[in-house]
Amino acid sequence: MTARALVQPFPIVTPDTNAMEAATTLAAQRLPGLIVCGDDRRPYTILPGSQVLRFLIPTYVQDDPALARALDEQASDELCRKLVHSTVRDLLPEPADLDELPVVEADATALEVAAVMARMHSPLVAVVDERDGNQVIGAITVRQLLEYLLPQQPAN
Amino acid sequence: MTQVLVVAAFVAAYVLIATDRIHRVAAALSGAAAMVLLGVVDARVAFFSEKTGVDWNVIFLLLGMMVIVSVLKQTGVFDYVAIWAAKRTRGRPFATMVMLVVITAVASALLDNVTTVLLIAPVTLLVCDRLALAPVPFLIAEALASNIGGTATLIGDPPNIIIASRGGLTFNDFLFNLAPVVVLLMVVFIGLCRVLFRSAFTYDPERVAALMALDEREVIRDRPLLIRSGIVLVAVMVGFVAHGALHLEPSMVALLGAGALVALSKLDAPKFLEEVEWPTLVFFMGLFVMVGALVEVGIIARLGSLLTEAVGGRYLLASSVLLGGSALLSGIVDNIPYVATVAPLVQTMVDAGHGVGQATALWWALTLGADLGGNATAVGASANVVVIGIAARAGHPITFWRFTKYGAVVAAVTIAVSWLYLWLRFYAFG
Repeated sequence: MTARALVQPFPIVTPDTNAMEAATTLAAQRLPGLIVCGDDRRPYTILPGSQVLRFLIPTYVQDDPALARALDEQASDELCRKLVHSTVRDLLPEPADLDELPVVEADATALEVAAVMARMHSPLVAVVDERDGNQVIGAITVRQLLEYLLPQQPAN
Repeated sequence: MTQVLVVAAFVAAYVLIATDRIHRVAAALSGAAAMVLLGVVDARVAFFSEKTGVDWNVIFLLLGMMVIVSVLKQTGVFDYVAIWAAKRTRGRPFATMVMLVVITAVASALLDNVTTVLLIAPVTLLVCDRLALAPVPFLIAEALASNIGGTATLIGDPPNIIIASRGGLTFNDFLFNLAPVVVLLMVVFIGLCRVLFRSAFTYDPERVAALMALDEREVIRDRPLLIRSGIVLVAVMVGFVAHGALHLEPSMVALLGAGALVALSKLDAPKFLEEVEWPTLVFFMGLFVMVGALVEVGIIARLGSLLTEAVGGRYLLASSVLLGGSALLSGIVDNIPYVATVAPLVQTMVDAGHGVGQATALWWALTLGADLGGNATAVGASANVVVIGIAARAGHPITFWRFTKYGAVVAAVTIAVSWLYLWLRFYAFG
């Protein structure tokens, strides 16, 4: 099975998309991450859900998680409001970390897709079509890939 | 010839340490290896000689305190105290800064400076966030307070541990001779904070509710462990104060305390060893062997007698030069290798004074200069570097010059006050 057969349409955002909009898409569609593309629809990077949390949670709380227990619901709402005035660009890691993208070509095999995900610790990979100028045609998530790779459970 | 080669190897290793061209542990171990290869140091000298080998009292005192901190860290006590104190100020920025720097200074007197700022910085960022205050002035003030507070006791700063061991000084010697001036320095420092950071004290009454909503009781992670740790820590402090009467070295007190905490906490080894900085301990060992080689070949004795001759009986002059020179050098290079090298020289001069108080004061001049000089620049002390790193990660970068602008003023004023203290206490009326 190739990536083309596994790929599914996937929401795409750009670095200028509003961060709250992107986070809402992640939550509403229960996605592990989003594909970030440039204006030419070529993949720029993957925005995993954990990266959104890294942006929301101050580094001092990440360093000392016990501090989170001192914060109430109001403080939690305040943290989430940061997204309203931010863009996807603000959520992304430093450009230096974006050198390699979890992207596969449409004719990649399922194991190739798995290898990219494993090596890059990415919950999804973008699939591009080289016949169409390497534009993104969708994505494959870990769940979809495992459903295909794992042996079918015998019916009880 | 051997003397020349030993000095060359020592200087080369020292330059590597000072310039960070290679990791300081590698540099110190290379220096120690050179001394072995030159035939000056062997296993007997390195491991068993009290005068020229590794000072195991220093190593094990550091190790014991690091284990104690590892266990204390698991309790959440620092977060609790800092939030509780900030809430008592009802969000007034200057009062909040005073509370936080006093907590930092007191904690630094009892624990390692770097550990203290690592523990206090996250909760400071939280408090500043709640009050919508710029955290940079608070973080800089805490780094500076940590270096001042650490000067007060034998265990407050690694150079103090080396000085105590080399000079045969007790915990109480430090307490009686340095704690009073550190209290005075803290008062002066708080006054300086009021002036230096005045633009940071913008009071927003609407943010006070956000601070008061913090629940400090929630950050206590393990209440029974907190109580047990508190009891052991008090016992350790009593042990330090009474170590002379108990005939126990401070290292033994720290190790007994660490052992008791490990047994009572039932934590796994990775947890109770979390704060043990093995590279620092190995760095110390390398340094001791390097300096021991200088002693072995007679260089320290020769330099010591030259200095003693030059000083004559003019101990005030010697103290002033030692205080100022140590402050200047510690602002530029790591104060640990500096103190490890200079301590045997000071020892010679103090010994020549035959126990006269004015000669003994040289130890306090060295301690004050080496510890307080670290405030002068952004790289003068490990606590400064750590705070700058935490601030950068939190999105509040502090440039070298921004830190140094405040640090140099604080270092200059605290050194001036220290000189006045030394003069009044040991020379004018001593």
